[in-house]
Amino acid sequence: MSAVFKPHETFRDDFSFRNSPQAIRRFPLPFSEDAYMYSVNIEPHLPGPPGSVTEFAFDVDEHYVAECRERAIVLAAEPLRYQALPHMMSSQWDCLELIMESLARDYPAHFSLSKQGNRWRWINRPLSLDQEFTFGDAATLPREPLDYITRQAQGDFVVMDQREGDLWAEAGTVTTQADWSLDFDLGMTFKEWHGPVPLAHELGVFDRALKFLLNLRLGQPVRRLNWTMTVHPRLDTSPENYPHWGPDRATVTAQNAGDLVHLRVELQGLWRLPRSNAIVFGIRCYLISLRELATIPKWARRVHRVLRDLHPALIDYKGLTRYRDAAVQWLAPFDDGAPTTPGAAPE
Amino acid sequence: MNDAQTLAVEVIGIEQVTPLIKHFKLAPVGGGSLPVFSGGSHIIVVMQGAGRVHRNPYSLLGSPQQLDTYEIGVRRMEESRGGSHFMHDTVKVGSRLEIAHPVNLFGLDKIARKHVLIAGGIGITPFLAQLEDLHGGSVPYEMHYSVRSPEHAAFLERLRRREGDRLHMYYDSEAQLIPFEPLLAAQPLGTHVYVCGPAGMIKHVIDTAQSCGWPDSHIHWEQFSAPPVGDAFEVFLARAKISVHVPPDQSLLESIEAAGVEVPYLCRGGVCGFCQTRVLEFDGQLVHNDHFLSDAEKAKGTSIMPCVSRAQCRRLVLDL
Amino acid sequence: MLVTGIKSKPVYAPLQADTRGRYHLMLGTGVGAAPLLRVIAEMRGAAAQSLQHTRVLFVPDLGSGSELEQFEAAAVGEVRAFPNTPALLAQFRAILGQSLMGTRLYVAGPESFIGLAMKIALEFNLNKDEIRAEECGSLARRVYCIHCRATTENVRTNIVRCVGCARWLLVRDHYSRRLAAYMGVMADAEAPGELPPLKEVFL
Repeated sequence: MSAVFKPHETFRDDFSFRNSPQAIRRFPLPFSEDAYMYSVNIEPHLPGPPGSVTEFAFDVDEHYVAECRERAIVLAAEPLRYQALPHMMSSQWDCLELIMESLARDYPAHFSLSKQGNRWRWINRPLSLDQEFTFGDAATLPREPLDYITRQAQGDFVVMDQREGDLWAEAGTVTTQADWSLDFDLGMTFKEWHGPVPLAHELGVFDRALKFLLNLRLGQPVRRLNWTMTVHPRLDTSPENYPHWGPDRATVTAQNAGDLVHLRVELQGLWRLPRSNAIVFGIRCYLISLRELATIPKWARRVHRVLRDLHPALIDYKGLTRYRDAAVQWLAPFDDGAPTTPGAAPE
Repeated sequence: MNDAQTLAVEVIGIEQVTPLIKHFKLAPVGGGSLPVFSGGSHIIVVMQGAGRVHRNPYSLLGSPQQLDTYEIGVRRMEESRGGSHFMHDTVKVGSRLEIAHPVNLFGLDKIARKHVLIAGGIGITPFLAQLEDLHGGSVPYEMHYSVRSPEHAAFLERLRRREGDRLHMYYDSEAQLIPFEPLLAAQPLGTHVYVCGPAGMIKHVIDTAQSCGWPDSHIHWEQFSAPPVGDAFEVFLARAKISVHVPPDQSLLESIEAAGVEVPYLCRGGVCGFCQTRVLEFDGQLVHNDHFLSDAEKAKGTSIMPCVSRAQCRRLVLDL
Repeated sequence: MLVTGIKSKPVYAPLQADTRGRYHLMLGTGVGAAPLLRVIAEMRGAAAQSLQHTRVLFVPDLGSGSELEQFEAAAVGEVRAFPNTPALLAQFRAILGQSLMGTRLYVAGPESFIGLAMKIALEFNLNKDEIRAEECGSLARRVYCIHCRATTENVRTNIVRCVGCARWLLVRDHYSRRLAAYMGVMADAEAPGELPPLKEVFL
């Protein structure tokens, strides 16, 4: 992947975020066919093709520096977007180790990690950071371990303790979410925080997912894709800030939908953590405007059909009600009814 | 898991710590460190015996902070199917073994307000690692350790030195029994109890805790017992299209593995549910020895846990 | 935002005695007395010796005296009346600090009372197997404004003005045990001034 970062991109105010042609082609389209319904679409998080978003454990792309800046802005305004219950400290160190080791191994041009026993030195070149610290001693880092490292990674992270045959969301950094609140959900169990998701409970999706995750093995992470849509390339679509971004939904027209409406895809990864036996849930967010999507003819046809035929409960839950029709109208001219090949890859 | 994800280790130390228990130190072949683990984890040790493969689970008893070696304790079992005899009689310093990545099915509850740890005999092993995690922390804990006699108390010096009066010893030879009822009845709200040892002791602790009103979620136990023996029988694997003979002293899982078919497993002790296999047909009786399936599921006869369960039947067909 | 039928709303059931417990701690306010008395009667039938290990903490409705008399007549281990909920909850916390494993908690009253009691029980690692709760009396909710994080008490309507930031909030069914409150989200962000009709629903 290109080493060129675009540090001045914004995900608010003037919304200068744009995808390069390379970023467009590697976008993780979540639709392998022309219709969409939930499933437990979990697969092993094994290395994908070179250059793809799944090539490495944690994907670093051209938006890395800009996203880290955006996260810093959110956390400065709202510290409660990062929280960790006291008993989660060992899992914080597990996460720091996992992310540092992965980034240093997979992007050696950008990150370095060296260790002398418990004395570690972490270098993050894109963010100009050089930090020596003692692994296991939080006083030697400028922030708590999870807070420290998630400010240097793209996407949200939620850490779940495993006990009493269930998973409990008890630590995390959540600044790029699709409309759920860590502050509100902190302390909830797996099915409790998925409470608001319609239909999936009846389909047994969460029962099966929970059972699977309780047996998640060290060294065998899994991943899945989730999706919604956003108006403007806004990462912070939190409930907390809904008064700021909610009004955007009413500004979409069939003429401007191409530039305003963005497909928002979450590449979710789940790792078992060694010291704490907890699970970390990484939620990596990718945005693409309908106009950028439509530069790939197969994707224009497919997304048009998925949106046009989407189940009403999903339209409501994913917040698409006000602008779904405008988006479908904008995409319609690109859909000549020709068949699309199975699978998400661009032709 | 399956054998594809094993690590090669070399035995770098063996010590006879009691008349029946040997302490093994394992180091990674080729140097480096071993995977990080949490106290209560176990590894499966794969042993190439004469004519058969043994896969036995052993708790990691070393400190989770010390990753240049793994330490396990193996008790020589009188009626052994060979695994513990292999470790005691055949494995020497320099021997090579394959081990699976650590799995933790016996972790400490992180929001407990107190931990009561109860060990019988070789059951002390998982607690040794857990005590390293607890030592110096703010949550109070007690270790109750019951053995036949002082010479059978493995790692006693190490425990005494580290834990002082948090350690309570009980010797059968001096008619000292753990007073389960008074012990469990007097614990403050938010206490969790953990027991590892002979099946009878585990049952006694569970029964006593329940009669004292403890909810099941506060009672944790781990048992590494050999799969029960039984009559020999035949099983047909529908997808592999082969017939497998299960001898009396080899489990259904082991026999299937010996025939070259892999079944996912985690604990090999009938507890975790990972090896649950669909029964397509049977003519006779399934002998369920596991702790995972509900009574209703066992009666239905559509699932079996091959790691510990068997059959008495004229015909058994599995979806493997 | 406007999804209905959320599965994270707590579900309550009529109280029943848990005879596997050794100590029984009962909390109630107002009409919560009836379920607690029913459980005590059940215990008298099935496990009379449990009554000695049963304590009742209770906030009576003003003007009614009969529930207190009924509790006292039931010859349980201890009965204490409190003038208000905060006083009861403070004593509850003190009792939990001295309580032993084998304790069962029974809570009866409005949901907001149950939520506050559960919050304290969480501090002592009591879990769902040790707690039974029956909702009775008012369904009024505590609402946590996700924007300014103020909690508005005693909400009976589908939308409410936040006591902190004055926004109109839609009262959702998504519930947090940690906060003992339902989520309130700005009701007219997408179309300012367009509010659903005000209805009394949590009565």
